Amino acid sequence: MVNIEINGIKLEARDGAMVIEVADEAGIVIPRFCYHKKLSIAANCRMCLVEVEKVAKPLPACATPVTEGMKVFTHSPKALGAQRAVLEFLLINHPLDCPICDQGGECDLQEMAIGFGGDVSRYAEGKRVVTDPDLGALIATDMGRCIHCTRCVRFGQEVAGMWELGGTGRGEHTRIGTYVADTVDSELSANVVDLCPVGALTSKPYRYSGRPWELVGRPGISPHDCVGANLRADIRGKQIMRVLPQEREEINETWLADRDRFAYLGGRSAERITAPMVKRETGWQATDWDSALTFAAEGLKRVLDVHGPSQLGAWVGDTATVEEAYLTQKLMRALGSGNVDHRLRQVDFRDQEQLPAFPYLGMAIADLERLDGALLIGSNIRKEQPLLGQRLRKAALRGGQIAFINPRAYPFNFPVSQQIVAAHNWVTEVAAVARAALALAGEEIPEGLPEAEVGEAHEAIAAALRSGEQRAVLLGNLAAYHPAQTELRAMAALIARSCGAHFGVLAEGGNSAGAWLAGAVPHRGMAAQPTAVMGRDWRSMAHEGVKGLLLLSTEPESDCIEPLRATQALKQADFVVAINAFASDAARDYADVILPPALYLEAAGTLVNCEGRWQSFEGTTPPPGEARPAWKLLRVLGNLLNAIGFEQLSITDVRDELAPALAVGADNQIPWRVPAPPSFEGGIMRLVDYPIYSVDGLVRRSAPLQQTRDAIAGAVYVAGATLTQVDLGGADRVRVMQGEGEALLPVIVDEAIPVGCVYIPAGTTATAALGGGFGVVEMTHA
Amino acid sequence: MNSMFRFLKSLFLLELFGGMRVTGRHFWRKKITLHYPEERAPVSPRFRALHAQRRYANGEERCIACKLCEVVCPAMAITIESAQREDGSRRTTRYEIDLTKCIFCGFCEESCPVDSIVETHVYEYHGESRDELLMTKEKLLAVGDKYEAQIAAARAQDAKYR
Repeated sequence: MVNIEINGIKLEARDGAMVIEVADEAGIVIPRFCYHKKLSIAANCRMCLVEVEKVAKPLPACATPVTEGMKVFTHSPKALGAQRAVLEFLLINHPLDCPICDQGGECDLQEMAIGFGGDVSRYAEGKRVVTDPDLGALIATDMGRCIHCTRCVRFGQEVAGMWELGGTGRGEHTRIGTYVADTVDSELSANVVDLCPVGALTSKPYRYSGRPWELVGRPGISPHDCVGANLRADIRGKQIMRVLPQEREEINETWLADRDRFAYLGGRSAERITAPMVKRETGWQATDWDSALTFAAEGLKRVLDVHGPSQLGAWVGDTATVEEAYLTQKLMRALGSGNVDHRLRQVDFRDQEQLPAFPYLGMAIADLERLDGALLIGSNIRKEQPLLGQRLRKAALRGGQIAFINPRAYPFNFPVSQQIVAAHNWVTEVAAVARAALALAGEEIPEGLPEAEVGEAHEAIAAALRSGEQRAVLLGNLAAYHPAQTELRAMAALIARSCGAHFGVLAEGGNSAGAWLAGAVPHRGMAAQPTAVMGRDWRSMAHEGVKGLLLLSTEPESDCIEPLRATQALKQADFVVAINAFASDAARDYADVILPPALYLEAAGTLVNCEGRWQSFEGTTPPPGEARPAWKLLRVLGNLLNAIGFEQLSITDVRDELAPALAVGADNQIPWRVPAPPSFEGGIMRLVDYPIYSVDGLVRRSAPLQQTRDAIAGAVYVAGATLTQVDLGGADRVRVMQGEGEALLPVIVDEAIPVGCVYIPAGTTATAALGGGFGVVEMTHA
Repeated sequence: MNSMFRFLKSLFLLELFGGMRVTGRHFWRKKITLHYPEERAPVSPRFRALHAQRRYANGEERCIACKLCEVVCPAMAITIESAQREDGSRRTTRYEIDLTKCIFCGFCEESCPVDSIVETHVYEYHGESRDELLMTKEKLLAVGDKYEAQIAAARAQDAKYR
């Protein structure tokens, strides 16, 4: 520690700290543009010049380390004079078009100009004129306003891991841009909008639509991945105008993924309904709540009376809040049915009885960046949980050995020590690592561990998992979609145990953990308590059929891993109640009544993230039209069906009932069980994942997100060699058959896909007619 | 004593004659009453009455939807919604002044960076319902188009004092 003095205030500072950090901690304001606490120091704006005793010239506070006995003056005439002069220079080429600038009212430059600027311009020469590059659907540019602070450049390099923006030219002729015209495609790209201290980079969807002074910021939680990023919804009147990150160091730091930021625009979709709708003989009719809810209750009652409770089921979306999931399962169980499930993207439920209370990351999110070794099994973490990917990237840059065993090679933006690509023999590859790990630990090989040849890569992964302080084995989303999930999980836990590493699961949905704890699984009640009636998982419901179904915030035609089977089951059911904000064509086809709930920023609720953190939030704006919070709809349905325990008057009453779930501790013990992996012999194997912008109904309807490069189209991605293998070389469209379904899909040649496999994304309309997830497909000429 | 004075005052109608004296004085003076509407009082170039939105000479509307008038309005009489126009420029999609709320302080005109919203000399307007007193963007632009010469002249006259 060193002792310094700023403006006569004695302060103690950490060795090597910069003057600006010490001043920030002490609450002393130093103006700045280029300095940002999460980015490296560039010291190129010179706005933070301060006077230091015994130094002839003013020094930049952001790049001056503290020394013992240093005396800094931030408001002395010399410091202020230097700051004024710098500001005058910065304003030379600034267009001063504040009235049409979206940053106006929340602009650092505007504020500094009030604090440090002169009131009359001395500059009469011509100003620099530059062109504005098109950076894609999310970021609008007005590069004339740029002051070359390079925050956006450093963000891309240091945080997003994609050096997409750069500076070319020198001095006044510096240009920030992509050099070769291109869009900015990082999944964290829109953070540069927050970082930009001026109006050079602004949000395109929000462009020219509002002013910061007319917005009211209200806190919320993002439901699109298991991170639970804290955000701030800016509301004008009753409309959400934009979404910004809320700083939360232990979860999302100061960042927000583009998916969390722009998903709210899905709520403006034309498919959104704001009044309950009932299917009558004459077609769909908008109606009032009384008749819609009575219609729904009567329909469910009819199924109950005719077919009994075992023919009644509920599918819960994994973005639904804990309260909604809880009331759904309570309603089902009150009616005598245990058929409730939220794991619509999973197919393998063999080990469900042995699983912990909820999918747990095995550590805190912030610990990810301190990992020295990690093995991720079946994860494209960068696109699945962008903010966790960013944390893991920090670990990798610190020297952490991050390895992947994936069915296909994904491009990562950090150094990956090993990436084993195993499509057909995924289970054996993981088994090989398990064998290597057990051999290193000198442990016995447990019964039934698949035979596998241990190679150098496997040994290297096992060795990396044994060295260093913090290690983890993480099971990703792809493993959850796989029919051998049980084996992968058991072996991942085995590897972790033998290496003394954390074992963790990256849950596939925004509130998977919450849904587990709320009891939205067929074999367990709330807080993982045993249930009286054992229900059926969603897949048996879909395959064996149910007569009555309640859908909560889910669109099975896209959300289910077996979309065709799911829609067929829905069509064969006698009565389907859909609690969903969107009335898609598919929903109009299979549902009998659609009850519009409030979307995620419109109603209060609670989400549980992958580290088991319960985050409650209030609605930020009233839902449009007749839409009502889903928990209220479920409560009234409970009343109409004479179910016991549906007297909650407010959402806090529902939360109070969930107290036992809150007390459930995180635990990740997976007992070893003898695996029996399914085989994928013969034919071409389909690899599947949910692309980043296809994960839920809201994201799928967000127009700007769908215009980005990450919005992967429903197509067949295949290596040229595979095409030749099945005599389809050069085909641009093929007919793909999987299970009972078939679809005509365009072909995109992608050499990154392993030979003998095709990658066909799930969650898109084009692939909704296919019969499943991972599995064997046949391809013929279109 | 007092009561006697009051009695004499009322007996000789002193107050009545005092009043008649004022009447008589003004009866012979020059009249200041105007025969409105045939005659009108002169107005200052700074006179603030009905609002208008102006255009540039090429017909382009001046307003750029900066929303400063909306935020400065003490009566909250202005409502603006904005969006990007097809040509990429920032424009209002809705601009309304509620004349039933407006207090004619002129802050909107003062705050306008492009001299778009102005107050004209038109004080002869009326509305038979609240709706008619809600000035929409179209109405404001129409007023501006009609009185542009007058508006420009008044601003030119006042320019040296600004």
